[in-house]
Amino acid sequence: METIIIDGLSFALPIMIIAVGGIYSERSGITNLALEGLLGFGAFSGGLFVALMSGYFAPASPTLIWLSFLIAMIGGAIYSMLHALLCIKFQANQVISGVVINILSVAITGFLTSQINTSVFGKPSDKFVLSVFQRITIPGLSKIPVIGAVFKDFYPFEVLIIVLIIICWYILYCTPFGMHLRACGDNPQAVDTAGINVNKVRFIAVLFSGALSGIGGMCFAYSISTNFSPAVYMGAGYLAISALIFGNWKIMPTFLACLIFGFARSGAYQVVKYMKLSSSFSDLAMTIPYILTLLLLVFFSKNNRAPRALGEIYDKGKR
Amino acid sequence: MSESYIIEMRNITKRFPGIVANSDVTIRIKKGEIFAILGENGAGKSTLMSMLFGMIEPDSGEIFVRGNKVAITSPNEAVKLDIGMVHQHFKLIENYTVTENIILGIEPIKRLLGVFPVVDTKTTSKKILELSKKYGLEVDPSSKIENLKVYARQRVEILKMLYREAEILIFDEPTAVLTPQEIEYLLDIIRKLQEGGKTIILITHKLEEIKKVADRCAILNRGKLISVLDVASTSTNQMANLMVGRELSLEINKPEAHFGKTVLEVNNLTIRNSERFKVVNDVSFKVREGEIFAIAGVSGNGQVEVADAIAGLSEHVKGEIKFLGENISGIKVRKRNEKGISYIPEDRQQVGLILDFSLAENLVLKKYFKQPFCNGALIDRREFSSYAKRLIEEYDIRVAGGENALTRSMSGGNQQKAIIAREIDIDGSLMIFVQPTRGLDVGAIMSIREKIIEERNKGKAILLISLELDEVLSCADTIGVMYNGEMQKIAPAHEMTEGEVGEYMMGVKKNEKK
Repeated sequence: METIIIDGLSFALPIMIIAVGGIYSERSGITNLALEGLLGFGAFSGGLFVALMSGYFAPASPTLIWLSFLIAMIGGAIYSMLHALLCIKFQANQVISGVVINILSVAITGFLTSQINTSVFGKPSDKFVLSVFQRITIPGLSKIPVIGAVFKDFYPFEVLIIVLIIICWYILYCTPFGMHLRACGDNPQAVDTAGINVNKVRFIAVLFSGALSGIGGMCFAYSISTNFSPAVYMGAGYLAISALIFGNWKIMPTFLACLIFGFARSGAYQVVKYMKLSSSFSDLAMTIPYILTLLLLVFFSKNNRAPRALGEIYDKGKR
Repeated sequence: MSESYIIEMRNITKRFPGIVANSDVTIRIKKGEIFAILGENGAGKSTLMSMLFGMIEPDSGEIFVRGNKVAITSPNEAVKLDIGMVHQHFKLIENYTVTENIILGIEPIKRLLGVFPVVDTKTTSKKILELSKKYGLEVDPSSKIENLKVYARQRVEILKMLYREAEILIFDEPTAVLTPQEIEYLLDIIRKLQEGGKTIILITHKLEEIKKVADRCAILNRGKLISVLDVASTSTNQMANLMVGRELSLEINKPEAHFGKTVLEVNNLTIRNSERFKVVNDVSFKVREGEIFAIAGVSGNGQVEVADAIAGLSEHVKGEIKFLGENISGIKVRKRNEKGISYIPEDRQQVGLILDFSLAENLVLKKYFKQPFCNGALIDRREFSSYAKRLIEEYDIRVAGGENALTRSMSGGNQQKAIIAREIDIDGSLMIFVQPTRGLDVGAIMSIREKIIEERNKGKAILLISLELDEVLSCADTIGVMYNGEMQKIAPAHEMTEGEVGEYMMGVKKNEKK
C-alpha cells in the first residue's frame, strides 16, 4: 500500500505540472498536443546542462540538480516558442503544429544527444547521465498510518510541483492576466475590443506550457532512469492531455485525474509483482492508466466542455 | 463652428475589394443628441461606425472629436476618447460573470495579505449595481453570461460602456435581436441615457424606432450619404424612399387568389421536443395550389416545429403529412427536396447556409449531386459558376467578389436573398417560409414579400410562418393561428381582423370547436 502511494505520487505530480501547462495553453485558445515534445526538449536541456556542468559541481550536488530544473524550464519555454510562432504568428493548424513538434523533438534530442556525447565527451552514448536525486522522508509525519506514505520517500521535486500548482492556480484565477488568458479561450474578439492584445496573451500562455512541461520532463528524467534518454518519451504528455480533458480544463479536477492515473499505474504494478508474474506482464500493467483514460473519457467526457475558442485561429476580420 | 459638434467625420471614404463601402461621407453630430444612421443592409452604416470606433481605418477623410483631429487606430483609442460601442454581435465572454465581463481589461486590483494582487470583483459589483439602477439596466452582476437572455446580454454591453465612462455611445442595430416589448424598454433606456448627458448614435434600418427616439438622422444608400434630416419634420414614408433610393410603395399588390388542388395536408400532427414535451399538439391544416397559408403566433408556440416536421428535420413526429396525396412523414430530407418542397428556414446562418462556403457552393447545395453539376462521380465547378451567376443576376444578390465570395462576408439581407433564390429555383410545388424577413430592411422586406406573392400567383402552395402580424395580414390568403402548440383558428384572411388574430395569438380567444 505504501509503495502504491509513493510511486503513484511521483508519477502523478510530474504529469500534473505538464497538464497545468496544457491548461494554460488551451484555456487561452491554443490547442496544445505538443506537451510530449515540450517535456522531452525540456528534459534534454536540463540533461545537457548537467552533462556540461557536472565537472564544476560536487557529485550529486543539490544546486546542480535544482539548476537543471531551471534550465529544463527555460529549454521547454524556448522550444514552445516554435508552437506559439506557428499557431499565432503564422496561423498554422494547431493540431498539426503540435504533432510536428512532438516528432521533431524526439528526433532532434536523440540526434543531438548522441552527437554531443561523441564530439564533446568523446564517448558514444544516447543518454546524459544525471546524478541520483535523493528521496526524503519527513520524520514523524511519515509514521501516520496510510496517509504517512505521502511524507515518506518522496522526491523534493514533488514539493516544487505542489508549490508551482498553487502559484499557477493563483495566476489563472485571481490575477488580471489569468482573467485575460481564460477570456482569450472563450471569445478573443471580446478580449480584443477590451483593449487587450490577444496574441500576446496566447504567446505567454504557450510559453507557460513549455516551461511547466520542461519541469515535468526533468522530473521523469530523474525519477525513471536518472539519465536523459529517449526513454523520457513514454507518453506522459499525452496522459497529461487526457487528464486535463478529463478534468474539464480546470486545475483541481485535473489534479484528481492525475492522481487516479498515478495510483492506477502504481497499483497495477504492485498487483503484477504480488502475483509474481513475469516482466512482460508488468509491461501490460503499465498500460492500465492509458486504458483507464480511454474508459474515463468514454463515460465522463460528455459533460465536459472545451474552451469555446479552442483551436480557433484569431482573425480580426471575422464577423 | 466646429466646436459645437462633438463628432465630425469629414469626407470619409473606405473601399473593400470590389466594393466602395463609404464614399465621401460627411456627418456632424451634436453633443447630447440621438443621431440615427439609416440605410439598407449593406449601405455602409456599420462600416462608417466601425471607423469611428477604430476597428477599421478610413482610406481617406478626417475624424474630429470635440473639435480636435484624431486618428482612431484601435478600439482602445476610441475608448480613450470616451467612445463606446454595442456591437450587433455581442463581444462577451460567455463563461464569465457580468462583473468580470464589464471590468475585463481595466481590472481593479486589491492586495491579498498586502502583497498578492487579486482582481477585485466585490466593490465593482456595487458600482455596477449603481449604474444599472440609474439607467434602468437591471441585471444581476454575479450571473454568468451564458445563462442570460439576449436582452440582458445587451444590457451588459451597455453597462460595459458606461463603466468605462463613455460619453458617445454607438448602438449597432440594437433592436434586431429583441422582441417588441424589449425594444420599447431599450428605447426607454436610450432616452434615459440621453437625459444623462450622453450622445447616442443609433445604427438601424427600422424607421419606427428612429421616429420614436432620434433627433436627427443621416441616410446612407450604397455607401453614399443621401441626406441628413430632422426626424420630427420628416415622415416615415419620406425616409423610406430616401433610404432605398426609389419610390417605395408600402402597399403590396396582390391579385385575387385562385386555389387549385390540395398540395399539403397535415393531419393530427403531434411533435415532442427532446425532453419529450409536446410542443405541437394535434395540428391539422391544408394548403392548396395558389394559396398562401400563414401561421401566426407569438414566438415559441410550435409554429417553427411544424415547418421543421414538414421539411423532415424533426424527430418524434406523430401524425400524417401528405404531399400531393402521398404520405411523406417517414422519408428523408433529400427525398422531400426532390419531390418539390422548398424550405427557407428561420435561422439562415445556422440552417440555411454554410457560411464558410462560397456563394456559388451554397446556391447549388440542393442540386450539386445532379446533372449538370455532377457527371458520374465528378463535380463540375464551371457549372456551379454559371448557374450562380444566373441566380445572382436574377435575384439581385449584391455581393463583392461575385459568386466566389465567402457567404460569411455577405450582409444578412443578401444571405437571405441567396437562400430564397436557391429555394425558388427548385421549382417545386410547396414552399415553406419561416420568418423570411427577420432582421431585414424595408426594401428587402418588400421585395421578399413580393417574391412570395409572385410564387403564389404562379400556382405554388405556400406555407408562411411569421411572427410579424403585418406580414401575415398583408400576404396571407388563409390564416391559421397557433397558441401553445395548438391550432386555435383557421379562417380565410379577409374574414379575420388584426384584433381577432391578436386575441387568438395570445390565447385569449379560443376556437369554438375545441
